[in-house]
Amino acid sequence: MATLRLENLTKHFGGLVAVNNVTFEVAEQEILGIIGPNGAGKTTLTSLVAGTLQVSGGRIVFEGKDVTKSPAHLRVRMGISRTFQTVRPLKDFTALENIMVGALFARGESLGKAKERAYQVCQLLEFDRAERYPDRLTVFELKKLEIARAIVSDPKILFLDEIMAGLNFEEMKQMINIVRSLRDRGVTICVIEHVMSVINELTDRVIVLDRGEIIAQGPYQEVSQNRRVIAAYLGEEG
Amino acid sequence: MKTLSIIAVLALAIILPFIADIYLIHVVSTIMIFMCLALSWDMMLRTGQLSFGTAGFFGLGAYAAIIAVDDFNVNPVMSIFVGAVFAALTSFGLGIAVLKLREMYFAITTLALTSVFTVLARNLSDLTGGAAGKILFNAIFDGDPKKTYWLILSFTIVVIVLSEIFERTRVKYAISSIRNDELVAKSSGINIFKYLLIVFVITSAIQGAAGAIYAQQYAFVEPDSTFSANFLLLPIAMALVGGIYSTIGPIVGALVLGFTSEYLKLLMPYGHLIIYGIIIVLTVIFLRKGVYGTIMEKIRSK
Repeated sequence: MATLRLENLTKHFGGLVAVNNVTFEVAEQEILGIIGPNGAGKTTLTSLVAGTLQVSGGRIVFEGKDVTKSPAHLRVRMGISRTFQTVRPLKDFTALENIMVGALFARGESLGKAKERAYQVCQLLEFDRAERYPDRLTVFELKKLEIARAIVSDPKILFLDEIMAGLNFEEMKQMINIVRSLRDRGVTICVIEHVMSVINELTDRVIVLDRGEIIAQGPYQEVSQNRRVIAAYLGEEG
Repeated sequence: MKTLSIIAVLALAIILPFIADIYLIHVVSTIMIFMCLALSWDMMLRTGQLSFGTAGFFGLGAYAAIIAVDDFNVNPVMSIFVGAVFAALTSFGLGIAVLKLREMYFAITTLALTSVFTVLARNLSDLTGGAAGKILFNAIFDGDPKKTYWLILSFTIVVIVLSEIFERTRVKYAISSIRNDELVAKSSGINIFKYLLIVFVITSAIQGAAGAIYAQQYAFVEPDSTFSANFLLLPIAMALVGGIYSTIGPIVGALVLGFTSEYLKLLMPYGHLIIYGIIIVLTVIFLRKGVYGTIMEKIRSK
């Protein structure tokens, strides 16, 4: 059984169709890449699955259950988690407290347990600035914080929205290792990414979105040769 | 050290009626009522919602208490619970509708609610006494200011403890997350609406109880003075001067502004509000985080 299945998922913003009739499945422990030019609907798709946006049409089936109408906070508790494309730390909390929030509410843990768990996640990510406030963290640390907050709830599926943006080569390598280790721990992962070398290295399969529609899917090597994909990235002439 | 000073302040507060004159007892009683309003306003603000409904629920509680005593023969002490419960139930019903709103839309709607309550109080004459208001026949503790003082002190302690619960338990993580970023809060599994409603109901109950005690103390209610903007603006000023998002801030603010205003009143019976206003403006401009907040920030940055 697929971990996540999207059936004819559609989202309009007024007259604009951001996601159009998208259907695909994500298998358990798969790393799926979601790529496409800016404005293709990748982040909208993430928000629809996470429940922070309501669908205009179609169904979202998670582990066999229809979650299309479930509110966002319940979906996290079920095991759907995501990071935000632009990092969104809670500025009044330390990094550790930021991470604790997910353990407290998505898992319903006590303060003590949540703190312990937050520390464990920090260790897993080799994040050693837990006591700092977000305004004193580097971009890389903030990206790690985003991931920490998303995985502290022990998700079954994790959407990583452009976690490589703004990172240098070394940091990207570390990030790739983190994503792999998460998959090895049993998490199904969808990576939204513009850095194609990362997609190439990391993903089992990719889906290419353009103007809200799936225009190609398959292994990256194959998809990257696809004429429609090249056209979408480079313009109609390509 | 911290525990010691808390015990010392508490002891002083308890024995105050034995060592102070009636005037001081009265001043401190009033300050404590406003302290509770300031705390309750701040507790709502910690969720990110700016409420202007403080005076409204205060007035509702005052009316509910006096009507309970006069028309239903409720014991005066019990009437305070009546005031609290009435405000809580009203805020629960209204909260379901109003808490979908955010920022200035929420603020203005809560302000409008206060006007609605005032109009109702003025026009439901049979129950409320209309524009003339209503007089309490049976003052609480037969008007004994010392007993009233201890009652208010007990209530204040309850409110302070509630505020600390908001600061020290998972509630803090929920409401601060909501204030910081609702999208993140949602995505971390927080039921935003549930927490907003709980906090709205609890803070309204505090305001209702404060109104009930105030009405018992002054033994009358009247639309314009009971729903007066003073019960909104002074608590806000106190919380801002002391420092928002904390328990100690509104307490410090209430003490500073409460005693300053009394002193200024004696100094210049007519002009004191001008000085008072200037103090508030200067604090808000130069100590953006309030007296307590500024001190804490200095400590944190070291």
